Amino acid sequence: MQTTEKKRRASNQPPVKRLILPSAIYLIIMTQIPFLITIYFSFQDWNLMRPDKGIVFNGLANFKKILTSSSFYQVFGNTVALTVAVLIICFLLGFAFALLMNRHFWGKGIVRTIFITPFFVMPTVSAIVWKTLMYNPNFGMSSYFAHVFGKAPIDWLSAHPLFSIILIVSWMWTPFFMLILLAGLQSLPDELIEAAQLDGANKIGQFIHVTIPHLFRYIEVVLLLGLMFILQVFGEIYVTTAGGPGYASTNLSFLVYRIGFQNWDIGEASAVGVLTVILTIIMMMFMFKLLSRMFREEQS
Amino acid sequence: MKRIASGGLTLLTYVIAILFFFPILWIFITGFKSESEAINIPPSLFFKPSLENFEIVWQAGIGGFFANSVVVTVVSTVIALLLGVPAAYALALLKVKRKNDILFWMISTRFLPVAGIIIPLYLLFKNVNLLDSLPALILLYAGMNIPLIVWMMRSFFNDVSYEIIEATQVDGASGLQSFFKVVLPLVRPGLVSTALLSMVFAWNEFFFAVSLSYTNAATLPVYMASYMTQEGLFWAKMSAAASISIFPVIILGWFTQKQLVRGLTMGAVKG
Repeated sequence: MQTTEKKRRASNQPPVKRLILPSAIYLIIMTQIPFLITIYFSFQDWNLMRPDKGIVFNGLANFKKILTSSSFYQVFGNTVALTVAVLIICFLLGFAFALLMNRHFWGKGIVRTIFITPFFVMPTVSAIVWKTLMYNPNFGMSSYFAHVFGKAPIDWLSAHPLFSIILIVSWMWTPFFMLILLAGLQSLPDELIEAAQLDGANKIGQFIHVTIPHLFRYIEVVLLLGLMFILQVFGEIYVTTAGGPGYASTNLSFLVYRIGFQNWDIGEASAVGVLTVILTIIMMMFMFKLLSRMFREEQS
Repeated sequence: MKRIASGGLTLLTYVIAILFFFPILWIFITGFKSESEAINIPPSLFFKPSLENFEIVWQAGIGGFFANSVVVTVVSTVIALLLGVPAAYALALLKVKRKNDILFWMISTRFLPVAGIIIPLYLLFKNVNLLDSLPALILLYAGMNIPLIVWMMRSFFNDVSYEIIEATQVDGASGLQSFFKVVLPLVRPGLVSTALLSMVFAWNEFFFAVSLSYTNAATLPVYMASYMTQEGLFWAKMSAAASISIFPVIILGWFTQKQLVRGLTMGAVKG
């Protein structure tokens, strides 16, 4: 019995199922089934504050209510604006910093370490730091500089809530973009540059025809990962503006929290959750298509 | 001329790096100031550092939240590694049907927004009396980090040549033996940084934590968020609390930065 067991193991047929299934089942239980239940809940009229009403199937009423309210479109617009703005800022700054870092200079390792640090700070603390240090109209840096330049300090978070949050999130994610793009730049083989130089390409020509195409897979990875995380921004909003004033700085994630855990409306929160997932899938696919099209054009 | 330009660029790099780091540096410094010094404008650069704020914050009970964070982070990462590393190993080195489909599906679970699953999870944990408990967060964080671990570890396992494993099997080693004695040591740097990154994500997670925990199981991000609303006026103490919250994870992050890039990009760039 034991020898056959040993033979079986040695014969190049490892227990694939036993290796993969546990994590697959775990993921199904923790993510897939809850999402299916969310879809189910989204068709129910169910508010935890109104136990007397019970749980009643009400078809598409939740979706109808959401899609006919103006606040939803504001929130939708906020989500897209926040995500796109942060991605653009992070990409441009991250790329610029990666180019700066892709040189030989003294203390490079330490500088990179300093640069990457904001990425590891928890969103609630980042938000608190910015809310007090930067944005506080009485004691913050912004008020200090307003005084220096002889202007009246403004309360950034209530005057420009979404913009203020975009800056916070960009600050946190730029280091991540820099780090990945820097890795791309450093993986560029010297031969490619030399070949381009032999062909008589100048610095700008090298950059456009050699460096950028080489970086493409890295750009793809960083944009997709960034999109995934930035679509889900939550803690920064919770701590700074709580989505306000009104819905001015609420994104879809935070809307689910507001409806679910402040109004205790299970049905409606689930419906927004479903819409959030759909939007996420659409934006990921859009990004994927956009990138692969650009990639193909570069190739040809 | 060229050297001057190069020196200028280096200087620019230093300045930008310091500007980027400044908010964190400021938090660390403010923690050692008195409350009145903390709100001085222009900021006071010279002051007598004291540990008073840290003592006050500690006595106010940050230790309990710190312990919650440590337990949740460590236990969830161990579970995620136990489940995720074998799967990554199989997906990298063994013959698996529809390998890419399985891998893509696993990653895609990480793309699912928390907003899309939080409501049923809340009701589930409420019904089994696990609301405001550490096990609830541990279970969810493990699920959150399995895709990350599969993704990163697969790329590290990909670098191990299959011939090495075959050679050990010819020598009569069982699958487990060859895994622990041969493969694992080869990927250890990758494994360590994957674990560290998983811990960073668990330590910083906020949406699950704030929805599913209140007093008993609250982690540091939740504590910091409530600090803002309750005692937001006490900047020096808040800075001390923030320093305590972010210091461990910054250290972890510094150790994992190089492997982090490799693990995250290689999976896509090579595959």
